[in-house]
Amino acid sequence: MFRYAVRRVLLLIPTLFLVALITFVLALSAPGSPFDKNPDKPLSPEDQARLNHIYGLDRPIYEQFAIYVANAAKLDFGISIVRHRPVVEIIGDGLPRSAQLGLQAMFVGLLIALPLGIFSALKQNSPIDYLSVGIATIGTTIPSFVIGILLIYLFGVSLHWLPFVGWGDSCGPIPSCDLRKMILPTFILSLAPAAYLTRITRASMLEAIRQDFVRTARSKGLRERAVIVGHALRNALIPVVTIIGPATAGLIVGTFFIEYIFSIPGSGREYIRAINSRDYPVIMGTTLLYAFFIAGANLLVDLAYGLVDPRIKIGK
Amino acid sequence: MLVTNTGTEPNTIDPNLASFSTEIEQIMSVYEGLMTLDPKTLKPVPGAAAKDPEISADGLTWKVTLRDGLKYSDGTPLTAQNYVYGFKRTCDIDIDYEFVLSVVKGCDDLNAMDHKASSAADLQAARDKVGISASGNVITFQLTEPAAYFASILYMWVGMPVRESDITKGGEKWTEPAGGTSYIGNGPFVLKEWKHNDRFVYEPNPNFRLGKPKIAKWTRVMIADGAVAFAAYRNDELDEFAVAAEDLRAIEADADLKKQVVDRVAAITNYYGFNVTRPPFNDPNVRLAFAKSFDREAYTKDILGGIGKSANNGFIPPGIPGYDENDTVQKFDVSAAKTLLDKASPDAKAALTSIKFTYSSTPRGKTRAEWIQQQWEKNLPGVKIALDPVDPSAFSGLFKGGASGQSPQVFTLGWIADYPDQQNFHTVVWISKSGVSSRRTGFSNAKFDELVRAADKETDSKKRDSMYLEAGKILSTDAPAAWLNYSASKFLRKPWIKGVVDSSIDSTMGQFRQWEIFVTKH
Repeated sequence: MFRYAVRRVLLLIPTLFLVALITFVLALSAPGSPFDKNPDKPLSPEDQARLNHIYGLDRPIYEQFAIYVANAAKLDFGISIVRHRPVVEIIGDGLPRSAQLGLQAMFVGLLIALPLGIFSALKQNSPIDYLSVGIATIGTTIPSFVIGILLIYLFGVSLHWLPFVGWGDSCGPIPSCDLRKMILPTFILSLAPAAYLTRITRASMLEAIRQDFVRTARSKGLRERAVIVGHALRNALIPVVTIIGPATAGLIVGTFFIEYIFSIPGSGREYIRAINSRDYPVIMGTTLLYAFFIAGANLLVDLAYGLVDPRIKIGK
Repeated sequence: MLVTNTGTEPNTIDPNLASFSTEIEQIMSVYEGLMTLDPKTLKPVPGAAAKDPEISADGLTWKVTLRDGLKYSDGTPLTAQNYVYGFKRTCDIDIDYEFVLSVVKGCDDLNAMDHKASSAADLQAARDKVGISASGNVITFQLTEPAAYFASILYMWVGMPVRESDITKGGEKWTEPAGGTSYIGNGPFVLKEWKHNDRFVYEPNPNFRLGKPKIAKWTRVMIADGAVAFAAYRNDELDEFAVAAEDLRAIEADADLKKQVVDRVAAITNYYGFNVTRPPFNDPNVRLAFAKSFDREAYTKDILGGIGKSANNGFIPPGIPGYDENDTVQKFDVSAAKTLLDKASPDAKAALTSIKFTYSSTPRGKTRAEWIQQQWEKNLPGVKIALDPVDPSAFSGLFKGGASGQSPQVFTLGWIADYPDQQNFHTVVWISKSGVSSRRTGFSNAKFDELVRAADKETDSKKRDSMYLEAGKILSTDAPAAWLNYSASKFLRKPWIKGVVDSSIDSTMGQFRQWEIFVTKH
């Protein structure tokens, strides 16, 4: 187990290296440059060349990549070409908010998905089952930015119940401190995982209640409640628990649209900005960090498998 | 309290690095230049300067005297030396906007140096050679040639009294307000907080030269999405909203909103550029024929939803000195256009069936491109236009090699004033070779060059104006571009916002009188 863990951790290094390589090549080969800021006010070719020189963009691409990797290995991700601020600082500004948003959404998603999934499995083909399948379908098929705008108009403009600009974390002397601002974005972001987790919970619950050990539990005279909670549910939740890790990581790094629509100063919004303005250091830094999150979450899940389900043996 | 929308997070608010409107917006609230602009006429008037500049007889030496008793917002005195430092820092580190100080002795030389490779002593020597100096409360500029437009440049962000001590102390982070201890200026407002990607919070500067502004707090949020900003305005989370054509119907339908509309001309001209180095547009007859064969009024009405004005009168937009109502050279006139096209050379005529119109492929760009394709093909029989959409981020790259390189045949262009003077339009955009649009179109016209060069130096303002007018007509006739429309903006503004004086080059609400804005009870 320990050797397996070490090996998996070490495998992160080539993974991140490959991610860096692919991102680097894609970013630099996309047309445009960080200095093409305004198409109507182009810099003269001489000034473009000077800026490329100052930022080292006139060197061969492999040389730029080697320098980048050497610096990144020392955790130095450079300075944003466009913002003139250290990349670490820019990401550090936004990431806590994206993380909070993602975690909250996952929590709300679970609150919706678990009861819905369990009950619809227990009452298969009943109205509550159809309802949950319906919700799951809607949650998966309608994109969050569409639902986002709809709910903004409903709760903000028509009913005036909720504010929706910014993130309510500037508490203290700032009057924008308003936790109500978190309600809409959190809820909308939670819909996709809620739909997804409802389906998984339902499916694995359906499978579990048909298993022999459940029949055994029933036949030895246990009460229905004890059968479901003590035997069926425990086993049915294994796939759900294992998916929560990567799903949460996916939520934290998948907040782009929500952050854009609700003007939330998170790292997803900044990532979109960086891509649009060809801000290579920020693109690279954010991509690497996101890759690290996802790879790390998957690693944790693989390790957790062994703990949750003793039948699964990993490594030696 | 006032809440406006900056849209997106500015890349920088350093006056010596800024180039975008969102950036300039912040700078112009915190700092004030030697000159400022009259919001109605856009003529330069004294700001921190006590009076108009004194110009030597040869036009090469400009002396600007500071007002007495000027202070920074934190109460420390503001001296002529502070301005010298601010201007010189532009020559030193600015690349986007240093060009406006090219006329200052030694500025270009310092700017062109390789700052990494040069020794500190060499750099210092070059800094010392820049023709900007202070003695007492007088700042002296040494110019390389007479430049009547220089007074307009003195209002710009490139000449703000940024404080050396803020920069040495804060380094790259000097523009972080740090609770109001750094990024200290002499303008109407003090930047209290900059929460990145979220908001700017301003409070009035008690030491502003005209007294403390009336607004107690001004918050500028950053809502990038137009539909969300409109919703926020309707939810009273925003006091002003920049209207887009797609919002017009919703506003028309709402009597309250309709009353809140504010119209403002913007100092922007949009145009179609022609690559004059290749057929068919190497023939001036073809160019003028194309310029005269699309219905500008229909464009403004149908495509822009009535926001803006058709460009019936030359390159310089209304509101900017030099706007020429008598320039109707490119007036929509299909029969005149056909006559011109008949006169075209055989080479040019042969190329009329294979014209490529290149544009930035946004949803709006597509509608607009299809419109002009349809107009030209309908009004000029025989002409065939193929549409060539290009990824927006790749658009600028097409022009890297200049007009004779990869530069496309016909393409969209636009120009927004940096400073309100004819020189910023005619010379900066259209002078042979180096003009921003000349580089892309390959345009050069000796007579035009001679006129604008002379006008740039002319000190008699009447003579100067008439020279630019003549140059403008030459430009419209030689037609390296077809003027399309002059932009305008429409805003919704809450009825409780009072005292706003709009100008056509505002980066922020009532920029040149922001201290007069106030909010009534609501």
